[in-house]
Amino acid sequence: MIFVIDDDEIMAECIARWAKDKVKKFTNAIEAMNAISDGVLPDLIFLDILLDGPDGFTFLNEMVSYNDTAKIPVVVVSSLDLSKYNLAEYGVVRVLSKDTMVPADIKERIDEYAK
Amino acid sequence: MLYNGVMQQEVDGVLVAAHELKAPLAVLRQLALSFEGAGVSDERIKNQMVSVSERALRQVNDLSKIRRLEDGLFEMEPVAVREVCDAVTRELRYLFRYNERDFTVKYSNKMKLVTANRELLYSVLYNFLLNAMHYSDAKTNSRLTVRDHRGSVRVDVRDFGPALPVEVWRELRYGQIDKPLPVAMRPNSSGLGLYIASTFSRYMGAKVGVVRHRDGTSFYVELPISKQASLFGV
Repeated sequence: MIFVIDDDEIMAECIARWAKDKVKKFTNAIEAMNAISDGVLPDLIFLDILLDGPDGFTFLNEMVSYNDTAKIPVVVVSSLDLSKYNLAEYGVVRVLSKDTMVPADIKERIDEYAK
Repeated sequence: MLYNGVMQQEVDGVLVAAHELKAPLAVLRQLALSFEGAGVSDERIKNQMVSVSERALRQVNDLSKIRRLEDGLFEMEPVAVREVCDAVTRELRYLFRYNERDFTVKYSNKMKLVTANRELLYSVLYNFLLNAMHYSDAKTNSRLTVRDHRGSVRVDVRDFGPALPVEVWRELRYGQIDKPLPVAMRPNSSGLGLYIASTFSRYMGAKVGVVRHRDGTSFYVELPISKQASLFGV
């Protein structure tokens, strides 16, 4: 199972389209956190940072604070320039720029972390 | 520290505007890439591209109008509020339905004419309604109402979605938005649109404001009644 969390529904659809595997889309972090609380543990998460309501960092903090979710790989997909920041401590395995990413980037991350 | 550092980038008005205008371009790029064997109908991708690009174009047009305000190119005139509301709702109805949302419209105003500039008023209402669409929960109806209010005509646009954060409400309640604000950090919506709406409203001598509800937000504009209308009671 792969989670795509992005409040831009068309962007989420694009990422999900390329992921092809079993994907669950969320437009906000709360819905995703609720799904995890209900026992749905994803193999990989594609996460936007600027979300409506709690932002991506709030979500990441929640994730790393629990034993069962701390090791779930997260790929941040954002238009923000995050190159100056070390996001590894937030469980982020890769940062993809919305401005430059191509479908192969999504597929490669899935092959790397969710196969 | 990391959180503050990243979010600080967004508080600068120009950066907020740049981010907001960049977001639809990033989406368009992904949609264009989707033509390469994603197994999705070309028609759906084409419709999404048209919808995203039209919204972005309108925002760029509105931004350029803000610069032209200084040249006094937008004259005030008697404007029939209903006619403008009808035109805006006609344009946005399709977009709402496409996004699995809808809205209702209610007119209870006796005074029909206000002093405004038709083009600017159109942009104000368009941005309010587009904002409502983005912030509404799926399958909810936003509401546009027009009524008389203390010697003016007030147009309210109410959405049903997450409550507006109180710190944002404090910034917005008097409608004095001097730069794009990251209202909820949502791409392609709100901060820039509200800045545009606020700037145009002030230019027209209208008042904008916001009402916070537990299940959403109302943005409103109060338009001065046309003196011409007062003379003839219309």
